[in-house]
Amino acid sequence: MSKFGVSAENPSNAKKPLPYVASFSSPFWEGTKMGELRIQSCKSCGHKQFPPKSSCESCMKRDFDWVKSTGSGRIYSFASIKEVVMNSPAFQKDLPYFLAAIDLEEQVRIIAQIVECDPNQIREGMQVKAFFEDIGGISIVKFRPALPIA
Amino acid sequence: MPKQDLSLRGKIAVVGYGETPVTRARKDKGEPRLTYWEYLSWAAELAMNNAGMSKKDLDNQGLAVTHPEVEHPLFVGVEAAEMLGLTTRWMITPSHGGASAVVSLAQAAVAISSGIVDRVLCVAADAPLTYGDTVMLTEHRRDFEKPFGVMGPPSLFALVMERHMSQYGTKFEHTGKIAVVQRDHAVMNPNAIFKSKITMDDYLNSRMIANPIRLLDTVMRVNGGSAFIVTKAEEARKWTERPVYLLGFGECDNSYYPSNVLPDATLMGIKDASQQALKMSNLKISDMDYFQPYDDFTIAVLMQLEDAGFCKKGEGGKFVEKTDISFNGDLPVNTGGGQISAGQPGLAGGNINLTEGIRQLRNEGEGRQIDNCKIGMVTGIGALQYGRNVGLNSVAILGNEV
Repeated sequence: MSKFGVSAENPSNAKKPLPYVASFSSPFWEGTKMGELRIQSCKSCGHKQFPPKSSCESCMKRDFDWVKSTGSGRIYSFASIKEVVMNSPAFQKDLPYFLAAIDLEEQVRIIAQIVECDPNQIREGMQVKAFFEDIGGISIVKFRPALPIA
Repeated sequence: MPKQDLSLRGKIAVVGYGETPVTRARKDKGEPRLTYWEYLSWAAELAMNNAGMSKKDLDNQGLAVTHPEVEHPLFVGVEAAEMLGLTTRWMITPSHGGASAVVSLAQAAVAISSGIVDRVLCVAADAPLTYGDTVMLTEHRRDFEKPFGVMGPPSLFALVMERHMSQYGTKFEHTGKIAVVQRDHAVMNPNAIFKSKITMDDYLNSRMIANPIRLLDTVMRVNGGSAFIVTKAEEARKWTERPVYLLGFGECDNSYYPSNVLPDATLMGIKDASQQALKMSNLKISDMDYFQPYDDFTIAVLMQLEDAGFCKKGEGGKFVEKTDISFNGDLPVNTGGGQISAGQPGLAGGNINLTEGIRQLRNEGEGRQIDNCKIGMVTGIGALQYGRNVGLNSVAILGNEV
C-alpha cells in the first residue's frame, strides 16, 4: 500500500492529506500561513502561473518573484463532490461540498473548495474571495462568495 | 509537421492480438486474484498464439511494455522481458496512461520502419483489484490537489463537464446516450465486464459521484491484460490473412488552447493529434468507418468527437443526439463497449479501445461487427492537467488495406 494511496483505515481516525512542501513551492505555503495567496511570477517574462512549477511555462527560465494575489476571482467551473474517491476518508464528513476552478484577477486558475455558498446560487462567473484554513501546521486556500447573496 | 518521407503510413501492420478475460477479482465469487505479471504473460502468450508465432520470432526483436499503475516497477521493460525470457533489441516503455497502447503502436512503427527491428510485441496489463489503489502522483499534483479536496479524475473531469455543459448547452441526455449505446455494445462483447443493458432512465437515476459526473459516466476498474504484435508490412501476410495497417498517427501532449493564460478547458490535444494523423494517412474524417475513442468518462467521448472533427466544437451534444453511434449506425463509437462498459484494466493503456479497433478491421467483431469495415480511428488520452483537461493525446488511423 502506497503512502499516497487511499487508506482502508476507519474514516473516524483518518486524517486529511497534507502537502509535502517542495523547495520550489515553499514560498506559497509560507504565504498561506500568513494569510497571503502568493502566485509565482517569472522574472524574465512576467508570466504568472499556478500551481508553482520548477520552470516558467512561458519561457522555461527558472527565476521567480512571488506576487500577492488579491484573493479575488470568478468561478470558471464547479462540481458538487458527493463521494470520497482516491482521497482520504476524512473528507467524508464534509460531503457534499463544492469544488471549483477559479480564475483569479491575476489571470491564473486555482482549484479549491467553495464554502458558505447557497447550492441554488452557485454559478459560473460568481465572484469569490479567498480565505485560509489551517489543516495541521499548514494552511490551504478555500473560497467563499465575495458578495452577499440577494 | 512531419515531412511526407517520414510518414509511417502503411509501413507496419498488427498481425496478432490477444485480450485476457477481465475480472473484478471477487474472491467471494471464486474469481482468481492474479498478479500484474501473470496478466502480462497471459496477454503476451495470447498474442503470440494468435499471430501463429513462437518465442523465437519475438526474441531479439522489440518489446513495448506499458507502465502499469500497480507495483511501480522502476525497470518495467526489462522486468517484463525477464518474465517473458525475451532478449530485446528495442525497448519501449510508454508512461502515456490511456494513450500508451496507441503510442506503443506508433513507437513500434518508428523502430520497424527505421530497420532497427522487424517485430515488436506490445503488451499492457494491470491488476488494481489485486494490489489495491496504489496510484502515485507527482509533487505538484499531489500537493495542490488532494489537500484541496480533489477526488481524483472524477472531480477534475466534473469541472470540465460542467464547463462544457454551460459553454455549449450539452445535456445529460447526450452523455447518457453514449453510456447507453456503449453498454449495448458491451452486452455483445464476450470480454466485457458488464453483461446487462441499461436505459436512459438508469443513467439519469444513477448516483452522482461528482456532480455532473454520475456513476454511469465512469469506468469499472478491472484486472486484465492485452497485447498485440507489430511487424513490417512486407512480412504481415506471412503471419495472418487479416493484417491491420497503421495509416496515420498524431500526438499532442500538454496542449494549451488558446494559450497558457486561462486556457479553455473544453479543448483537447486530440484536435492537433487527429489533424496530424489524418494528414499522414491522406484521409478525411468522413472516411472513418468507426471511432474508438479512449473513454474514461462519457464527456471525454463527446469532446473527442468534436476535437477529432466529426462535428464542430461545441456541437458534440447535438451530434450524438442526431447520429446513430451504434455498431450498425452512421458512426459506430466504441463498438466493444469501451472502458466504461467493458472495464478498464488499471492503467493498461487504452488497449481496450485499440484492440476493438483491430478486431473490427479483421472482421472479428462477432454480433457487433461493422459492415464493410475498412478504416477507423482510435485514440488514447491520459493524465489530467490542473485546470485544463487531459495531458496525453494520441490518435491512430488503422485500415485493413494500404
